[in-house]
Amino acid sequence: MAEINTCKLPDDLEYHVDFNIWLRRAGDGTFEIGMTDIAQTLAGSIIHCRPKKVGKAVKEGKGLATVESGKWVGPVRAPFACEIVDRNDAVEADATLLNRRPYGEGWIVRVRPADGSEPSGLLDAASAVEPFRAYMAKHDLQECVHCEGFKC
Amino acid sequence: MEPIYADAEYQDVPYEEKKRLFDQVAQDMRWETTLYGCYECGICTAACPSARFYDFSPRVFAQVMAREDVHSFYELLNDSVWDCSQCFSCTRCPRQNNPGAIITIMREVAVNNGLQSAKDALKAYSRIIYKIMSTGTQVAPDMLQPDFFPDWGPDVENVSENLDVWRRMVPPETMHTTELAWDVSEKTRVELYMIWKLTGNLEMIEQIDDGIFMILEEVMEELLEEHGYDIDDFDSVLEE
Repeated sequence: MAEINTCKLPDDLEYHVDFNIWLRRAGDGTFEIGMTDIAQTLAGSIIHCRPKKVGKAVKEGKGLATVESGKWVGPVRAPFACEIVDRNDAVEADATLLNRRPYGEGWIVRVRPADGSEPSGLLDAASAVEPFRAYMAKHDLQECVHCEGFKC
Repeated sequence: MEPIYADAEYQDVPYEEKKRLFDQVAQDMRWETTLYGCYECGICTAACPSARFYDFSPRVFAQVMAREDVHSFYELLNDSVWDCSQCFSCTRCPRQNNPGAIITIMREVAVNNGLQSAKDALKAYSRIIYKIMSTGTQVAPDMLQPDFFPDWGPDVENVSENLDVWRRMVPPETMHTTELAWDVSEKTRVELYMIWKLTGNLEMIEQIDDGIFMILEEVMEELLEEHGYDIDDFDSVLEE
């Protein structure tokens, strides 16, 4: 497990630093996607997460889901052009999963890259440490906040 | 032109850029109604609640703009302009100056030009922008979260955890909402989206936060499409 101050980056995942998301290769060509520990900390207590519908085609950089906390709202962006093949209804029912289990039960969507769209720019945990450190400095974030029940 | 003050900030920003922004304020249709000369009596600052808490003075805005001090204007545009609470207590000016309105115009110029100060000031309030533009109500009961309202003490945790129950204590049915201050009809939202689009407000948000812009555009597009409107072709709406 890579760590930046208290922020955790599990070794079995890949990361897109600019979009502050993690990806898990499912083995069938699809990717599970979720918010990083850093992203959930910046958002604060998350109260809504609305993943897009299954079957929706999403262009690179466009939203896979909308996440809301008390006073903040933002998209979870697609790291490449893709189709949503599954969505996690559990995070829509209880968005605090994104704070409590960002890397496990808090996954948001599973996507299949669009034809001709090759995932690029993804980093493993060790390689993502320095870019994420710079990202945190840019957002004036010293360390991650882990709510009660947080589990990696 | 040299900066007026030796320790003036933003000396690296060309005079022409500062003047360009100053002119956008001075060319605003409301500008002529905001400033009629300043006695320097300080009534505006004495009445100003923000002046009590910040290094902020509405009188400075009146004087800087009256002097057409472009350098100091640019400093204000990148800092103090966001300290105003827009309560317009300053309109008790004996000359009928309106520093609050000067600030309104300056903020619009800062937003329209995507200045970093505007992005920073609005960053913490993205959901409020989202709420007001997607529903017309800016405050949602579920904004009451312990990490956003630590000054409410332990009560806020109880309120946030049992919000739907507390909301049902409010008599009118329209108030039994947690994500909105009150129910907003679909017809109202359709009209609201047309207004944001036709007045250029939606594009203005794109300058500040492309994430919110993207979310809003999708929300609006979906509802407008359901009602037979194309968000990118409003000519037919205007003809109607």
